[in-house]
Amino acid sequence: MNNMSPEVALHRISPELRPLLCSVVRNGRVGLDSTNCLRVTDLKTGCTSLTPGPCCDRFKLHIPYAGETLKWDIIFNARYPELPPDFIFGEDVEFLPEPSELPHLVQWDAGNPECLLQLVKELIQQYHHYQYQRLRESSRLLFEYDSLLEDPNYGRNMEIYAGRKNSWTGEFSARFLLKLPVDFSDIPVYLLKDTALDPGEDVALLSVSFEDAEATQVFPKLYLSPSIEHALGGSSALHIPAFPSGGCLIDYVPQVCQLLTNKVQYVIQGYHKRREYIAAFLSHFGTGMVEYDAEGFTKLTLLLMWKDFCFLVHVDLPLYFPRDQPTLTFQSVYHFTNSGQLYSQVQKSYPYSPRWDGNEMAKRAKAYFKSFIPQFQEGAFANGKL
Amino acid sequence: MAASISGYTFSSVCYHSANSNSDHEGFLLGEVRQEETVSISDTQISSAELIQVVEIHNHDPCAQLFSFYDYAGKINEESLNSILKDRRKSVIGWYRFRRNTQQQMSFREQIIHKQLTELLGVPDLVFLLFSFISTANSSTHALEYVLFRPNRSRFNQRITLTIPNLGNTSQQEYKVSSVPNTSLSYTQVIKEHGAEFFDKDGVMKDIRTIFQVYSALQDKVQAVCGEVEQSERVKEKIQEDVNKLKQQIALRKRKTAEEEKRLRESQNADSHSTPEENTEPSLASPLSRITFHTPSAPERPSTSPNPPSYADLLSQDDSLLSSSSPPTSAALLPRPQAVGSPGHPTPGPLGMALGLGTPYLGNGDGSSSDSLDRQAAGQEDDEDDEDDDEEEEDEDSSEYENLVSEAAHLPVGSASILAQGRPAALSPDGDARGSQTT
Repeated sequence: MNNMSPEVALHRISPELRPLLCSVVRNGRVGLDSTNCLRVTDLKTGCTSLTPGPCCDRFKLHIPYAGETLKWDIIFNARYPELPPDFIFGEDVEFLPEPSELPHLVQWDAGNPECLLQLVKELIQQYHHYQYQRLRESSRLLFEYDSLLEDPNYGRNMEIYAGRKNSWTGEFSARFLLKLPVDFSDIPVYLLKDTALDPGEDVALLSVSFEDAEATQVFPKLYLSPSIEHALGGSSALHIPAFPSGGCLIDYVPQVCQLLTNKVQYVIQGYHKRREYIAAFLSHFGTGMVEYDAEGFTKLTLLLMWKDFCFLVHVDLPLYFPRDQPTLTFQSVYHFTNSGQLYSQVQKSYPYSPRWDGNEMAKRAKAYFKSFIPQFQEGAFANGKL
Repeated sequence: MAASISGYTFSSVCYHSANSNSDHEGFLLGEVRQEETVSISDTQISSAELIQVVEIHNHDPCAQLFSFYDYAGKINEESLNSILKDRRKSVIGWYRFRRNTQQQMSFREQIIHKQLTELLGVPDLVFLLFSFISTANSSTHALEYVLFRPNRSRFNQRITLTIPNLGNTSQQEYKVSSVPNTSLSYTQVIKEHGAEFFDKDGVMKDIRTIFQVYSALQDKVQAVCGEVEQSERVKEKIQEDVNKLKQQIALRKRKTAEEEKRLRESQNADSHSTPEENTEPSLASPLSRITFHTPSAPERPSTSPNPPSYADLLSQDDSLLSSSSPPTSAALLPRPQAVGSPGHPTPGPLGMALGLGTPYLGNGDGSSSDSLDRQAAGQEDDEDDEDDDEEEEDEDSSEYENLVSEAAHLPVGSASILAQGRPAALSPDGDARGSQTT
């Protein structure tokens, strides 16, 4: 019953209701967190038990909202598929939207496959409004909300969940889920395509949990869609500063936003810088270029000769180049180590400055090669065997 | 708040619901009344509890869904009226049946409930939710029902619904509910045949007949009471007469005793052997009785106003004692008193003799002095009426036979001895008559 794949659900539901459920299950993205799509579980029937299947007409819909999952029961009648459904809003027993605010209910059209999805979206909107009403119990949190609402960057992409009061302490808790307006479109595609999951929309969500009404216990958390997370360098990219005590969301959120934007900028810049670097090397070393990464511009291999001594130079460009120095690996073409590998030496520190442009870096690298090679040659002869 | 539904209404709702191929809804008709229970316990004088009882008498199923409301859940009052017609006033709630869902009011149900509360003007409209749960292989089906009171606070919404005569098997009797039978056919039949059981006042005829029997019995009892009263009065009168006669007897006894005394004294002055046998036998019965009475005079019953003085009795006894009895007076010998016989507390001749002197006011065995009375009365019978105490005559005659023979043998002079003996003889016979002595 649980974790039912959409196809199974579609198979079991009554044929007349199938199109409605189809659009919900396949295309249903409601709310900010569009990485989690709507899930359907607990398919049951309202017909007599002897009715031959498939005749399921009622199910539980799982809707992600503000970090929570709403579990709403949707009740149809298979024998009367033209009738609009009924809802049971799970534990939110006090949530009672005004039917006049639900146009897709008032003018329910069973022939429109999108009708149910639209109705669910309208209900979510009403739910949002309901949560806002609940938030009014805490003036502090209400202030937070209202201040964010005024900012056009954040106001339109915010979900709030005013949690139940802790029955022991009477504490009030709430959660804000904000979509950060960071532009990820310039991130090089190569970074994004390397994920196993369907990337979907690139989104960064900031979740801020208030465990009490006075905002003394605040826990922020950053959620990135998987491709972005990978593009920005893994989970280390999710480190955000702690919420300052006594601070406000209206100050904190832009801070986080900026941080993320900076990171993205770094990544984009790095890409461009790397490209520039490799282009410069290409022009300087020309025929000595063995291969280079033409997509991500992260690697470069040169075959050079000095006084009849041929050697390879592998250049690894880090993600945060030019801030981080590229790694040079010298490799002899003649000598082997004991383990059967080509003798090589890695150089991480050499004269380098991130302020140089590509050309300058290539020139300096050339100079460094000249100075280092004799040393390497000796080492190769001494430690490697032919 | 308590709620009850009759078994047949409940089963009817279930029938309609279970046979529908989709969700089902309808209205509940009935009445709400207030019940006040006053309970008295050891800790409190009295505590009154006021509860509202909802009784569901009937239900009105809706033919289809959305029959009185639209997609938005707005109720159309005209449709509602056309469904309910004139039953609108007795609507106390509504019900819904849906399979395989939670026991919770849904979105549309809440909207409809609010509107119904306003339209029907029932502040505490109830909502009965049926939920039918089947297992996956259709082996077990559960019908769950919950009665809600949605207009109350959120935490107090569910009411227990009781179905009388269902479930509680410990109760042996069939509980009759107060649900009135509104069927027309029923009223017709009752009207037709009711006259056989009910009289014009609506009271069952059996009750009247029983009451009549009761009244008749009461009258009889009253009559018997009257008869008893009369007989009691007669008895009282007779008792009075008896008492009077006894008094007279006693008086005469005294007189005769005094005469005898004088006579004896004069006789003693002459000779001792004056045969009195002639007189005695001729006056056997009376004389014997009289002589018997002489010694027993001192044993006058308490009814006599002037009992003889003890001194007189003692002197009498002395005279009795002094004279010796002839050897032939074996019969004169005092008959041995049965020890332990009732009324003979002091065995022994002396005791007896002395006992003769003492007026005996009662029998030792607690029997009334009637026995003595009988004695006295028996002796007086010849002189007065013998008919007064018929019973006593028999006894007396039997004893007197014995004593007469003895008296025949004895001289008058030894009347004292006789007197001594006879009473003594008498005494042992006292078992039938009770005691005289001591």
